[in-house]
Amino acid sequence: MISPTMPPAGSRVAQAAPAAVIQAAALTKRYGTAVTALDDLTIAIGSGVTGLIGANGAGKSTLIKILLGLLEPTSGAASVLGHDCVTHGFAIRTLTGYMPEHDCLPPDVSATELVTHFGRMSGLPASAARERAADSLRHVGLYEERYRQIGTYSTGMRQRVKLAQALVGDPRLLLLDEPTNGLDPAGRTAMLELIARIGSEFGISILVASHLLGEIEQICDQIVAIDGGRLLRADTISSVTKASAVLLVEVDEGAELLQAELIRRGLTPAPFQRGLLVQLAGDDTYDVIRDSVADLGLPLSRMEQRRHRIEELFRADPALASVLPESQPTGASSAS
Amino acid sequence: MPADATAAQGAGNGSDTTTGRGGVIHNIGYRRYDAIRLGRPAIVRALMWHSLRSAFGLRRGARAKIFPSLLFAIMCLPAVVNAVALATHPGGSPIISYDSYVPSIRTVVMLIFVALEAPNVVSADLRNHTLPLYFARPIRRIDYPAAKLAAFVIACLLMVEIPVLVLYLGNVSQVHGTHAVFEQTLQLGPGLLYGAAWAVLLASISLLLASATGKRVFAICAIGIPLFFSWILANVLAHVGAQAFGPAAFGQPSALASLAGLISPFTLLGGVLRWLQAPNPGPAAVLQATTVGQYGALYGAVFLLLTVAAAGGLILRYRKVGVA
Repeated sequence: MISPTMPPAGSRVAQAAPAAVIQAAALTKRYGTAVTALDDLTIAIGSGVTGLIGANGAGKSTLIKILLGLLEPTSGAASVLGHDCVTHGFAIRTLTGYMPEHDCLPPDVSATELVTHFGRMSGLPASAARERAADSLRHVGLYEERYRQIGTYSTGMRQRVKLAQALVGDPRLLLLDEPTNGLDPAGRTAMLELIARIGSEFGISILVASHLLGEIEQICDQIVAIDGGRLLRADTISSVTKASAVLLVEVDEGAELLQAELIRRGLTPAPFQRGLLVQLAGDDTYDVIRDSVADLGLPLSRMEQRRHRIEELFRADPALASVLPESQPTGASSAS
Repeated sequence: MPADATAAQGAGNGSDTTTGRGGVIHNIGYRRYDAIRLGRPAIVRALMWHSLRSAFGLRRGARAKIFPSLLFAIMCLPAVVNAVALATHPGGSPIISYDSYVPSIRTVVMLIFVALEAPNVVSADLRNHTLPLYFARPIRRIDYPAAKLAAFVIACLLMVEIPVLVLYLGNVSQVHGTHAVFEQTLQLGPGLLYGAAWAVLLASISLLLASATGKRVFAICAIGIPLFFSWILANVLAHVGAQAFGPAAFGQPSALASLAGLISPFTLLGGVLRWLQAPNPGPAAVLQATTVGQYGALYGAVFLLLTVAAAGGLILRYRKVGVA
């Protein structure tokens, strides 16, 4: 039976457990002698939504597989919800839901059948598995279409089914490997909203692996950035973005003129996309920009205050450049 | 479960909605599950039943059920004919033995059955990359291949043993007196046991071959081609051995004729039967294609070795797959 008890919203279960949800100490994983997937990684991740950021091949998937007890680390230790990953992987897998990076769904069954089956594989009795499968699919936003064969689904719907099968066993922790893979911008936004909701309202801790920092910073309480299997940075979002309010100023022409003028007036503008980013020192910063634009007679098209994107902070730090896909030599287009 | 698991979490009202692409997400609140969780044996059992159903095309489209049911009907046909013959000609003796059944029909039907259905049991999960979803669940690495093997052995058992039981019922219904029924039951026992040898050997070999590839057509070929051609080759060599070399000694077939049966699982099974029947060959010995000569025990040993190797190979196959 599924418990129908619903205490008032806001009593976050996750906050009741202050201990680290995920811990790793000097975790190292080598494949043979040539490939080092994780290199002396030490992290402690609390409850809430955590972003695991890294470029492709940074070791995100390897870390998740070690946390699930599916891979044995070469050296070092890791634990999830207080269970050791090497010796108690079995216990961890009863408490976690895993959404793999790649497509993993059979095309010839319906979402209901699939999620029910994996509910049973999570140890639910048959009737409970059916109930929870229906619930999970509703939570991820699949209704009538859940009776259709998965082969007829869009990528966005498949990603939702993958999330639903991770959710069906009522996990304490969700490990999501690139949940927005293959989605269009609108699909990404919907998926991220869903993850944020699961983290905040369902009281389930979540580790979201992604190579797109700008994308998941909106929904994470904390960020762990890794590269080449090493920890680059681990911090809460608030401390990363603290006191980093900036103004984005866009003019249709004469951005260079404006930049020179702002520097002359004592500000520190930095070119960003088609506009300038200006550190917001106080209310008079607005006045200075307004006056500069007016004096130069430039066509101002946009001036907005925005949270300083972590991506930009990372870009300022050369050691972190590798996690930014835009900075790679292949020059992937700026998605944010 | 941690202590906090009893606390449920949810917004509790249905008014809050979030509009996402592809539908409206209604906030119905999240319900915790804190009732009983079944352990590993129950999960493995559930996976086994799931796989058994897929072996017969159940819970799949109507097309998937055509071949299993057709093959099952063909397999039962001799038993039904036997029952009808006995019923219409009272006093006649049974025409089919419990152990060998009808070797040619059993061989052809089981060859097609394992080639078509073993891929449904294992290669679909490989093809669709579904294995990570299984291995992320509270089961151990060995449980997946073990459940699949158990399921397919049961599937093959149903294919082999039910016709034998139909045969038994047909015979028993026409004999009179407890002694005659007892007689039939005594013969049924070894027949069922020998049928189990078919199921175990064919299921392990075909699952191991099917687990080599995720592509269904390749898997069917990977099972069907070696099984079919080794069977043909074994029979040809046995013939050549018998015709060209003559008997090794009086009443002893040549070595080639005696050993040719080891090549194919089907003739191997026939050889095992011939070996076990050696002291007093039943009427079925005439129907048995496999000649074993003095190498009967070798057939028994190869049968055990092959079964263990195939089952072990299947388990080894799933030690690494789906993780790295």
